[in-house]
Amino acid sequence: MLLNLDRLGWWKYVLLAITLLTAAFLLLPIVFIAALSFGSSQWLIFPPPGWTFQWYSELFADPRWLGSAWTSLKIAVIVTILSVLLGLVTSFGLVRGSFLFRDALKALFLTPMILPVVVLAVALYAFFLKIGLGGTLAGFVISHLVLALPFSILSISSALEGFDKSIEDAAVLCGASPLEAKIRVTLPAISHGLFSAAVFSFLTSWDEVVVAIFMSSPTLQTLPVKVWATLRQDLTPVVAAASTLLILLTIILMALVAVVRKVLKQ
Amino acid sequence: MSTYSDASGAIMPLQKARRATGFGGVVPALAFVAIFFVVPVVVLLLRSVLEPVPGLGNYAQLIGSATYFKIFVNTFIVSGFVTVISLLIGFPVAWALAIMPGRVTSVIFAILLLSMWTNLLARTYAWMVLLQRTGLINKMLMAMGLIDQPLALVNNLTGVTIGMTYIMLPFIILPLCGVIKKIDPSILQAAALCGANRWQCLTRVLLPLAMPGMAAGALMVFVMSLGYFVTPSLLGGTANMMLAELIAQFVQSLVNWGMGGAAALVLLVVTLSLYAVQLRFFGSQNPGGR
Repeated sequence: MLLNLDRLGWWKYVLLAITLLTAAFLLLPIVFIAALSFGSSQWLIFPPPGWTFQWYSELFADPRWLGSAWTSLKIAVIVTILSVLLGLVTSFGLVRGSFLFRDALKALFLTPMILPVVVLAVALYAFFLKIGLGGTLAGFVISHLVLALPFSILSISSALEGFDKSIEDAAVLCGASPLEAKIRVTLPAISHGLFSAAVFSFLTSWDEVVVAIFMSSPTLQTLPVKVWATLRQDLTPVVAAASTLLILLTIILMALVAVVRKVLKQ
Repeated sequence: MSTYSDASGAIMPLQKARRATGFGGVVPALAFVAIFFVVPVVVLLLRSVLEPVPGLGNYAQLIGSATYFKIFVNTFIVSGFVTVISLLIGFPVAWALAIMPGRVTSVIFAILLLSMWTNLLARTYAWMVLLQRTGLINKMLMAMGLIDQPLALVNNLTGVTIGMTYIMLPFIILPLCGVIKKIDPSILQAAALCGANRWQCLTRVLLPLAMPGMAAGALMVFVMSLGYFVTPSLLGGTANMMLAELIAQFVQSLVNWGMGGAAALVLLVVTLSLYAVQLRFFGSQNPGGR
């Protein structure tokens, strides 16, 4: 009876109240930031005395903000492409292959997911100082790829595990070359896995702060590092504007994922 | 054909005789992970016993100092608080989500996912503003007459706990909801038929059945909290450092690689052993977040 909403009695209202309050608690900061970014008070007073686009125009007028956004985008796109390609090849090896220590290898590939990011950040910082990759685009791409690859391998492997290989074999029997069969039969069938790998990789890189703080140089920093550095000085509403744009991108990507999932299901 | 049986230990001797297949596919990733993940982490940890002089001096200093000890204690206390509060809020929400009609739950699931995916810095910034002395939370509490003076909600452990709980809630609600959904309702019906009242059903049937999920979720939240960097350093202020920030400080401002490596190893050992416990007792679960 505890698992039946109608038979819970007054407990039902307690549960509903906690759930709605929690949902409000989770939504509050997101809505609040969006509202503040249009508020005219520099001191972040809420409700604001008036509404303005001032912070957005300051954001877009500042070459440093635009530059860091461009850097973030470049890194995230390169990381996404590399992560999906590498994830695809690796997943084929892990799912279809049979060799010693296969499961151990899979666990190794997923370890960056559970490692505290700060440990990886510090380790890569030291390593890149030695080999001269610190503060470079390549350094950013490599370090973000370390973090994105596990998500990619996980998404593509699970899609590949759900795909019946005999369909690919049938294509080969019908005269396709093994590579052709993979490209024309298997890849479309696991496209949902490739797509989530791409979205996860992009967001991992785009939102990454900790490694980026150590990786950045005065001339090269990502948008989150710029936000971080600005926040350490003051709580200017320009950060609210930047944050709102970041949130907007997340919502667009989430909606895209939902739409693609629906389309692929049909 | 079936990859599962290929991998099972029973036929491994036969496998050895045959040529390994598919290994070529994992070589690029293996090389990449070895060079840019394994080597840097191992080198960092080695430096903790090699610099400035070989030996365990760094660890002795880490354990011996009252300042560092306080940071360890802080980290564990905050993580513990965050875990307990997340569990207390998360269980009823997961329970409600598991039994509520689809339309309501899909809206709340969307909110959970949105908050999980929204940029961490954006959310932390929101809490910095919301919790400040003249912030919305203090204003609302004062308007309701609950307090006369604004409370110090930020730049202290209260701020860290609020911000971290906010971030961890989806990570405990989502898996817990899955666990409760899998519980067979007829077990609870049987308990009711045997004369158990609602309270007895909850404490003697539902909670024990959900316990593995709760323990697994709690462990995950605790481990993730231990290593968090961004939220504690922005909401905690300089006096309330946590372990991750200590590691960053050793390396960035003090350029003390030995101590940085030692603190990193402590965090790593605690994290990996708790994950091992989780894997051993509750099976695997996907963590996430930073």
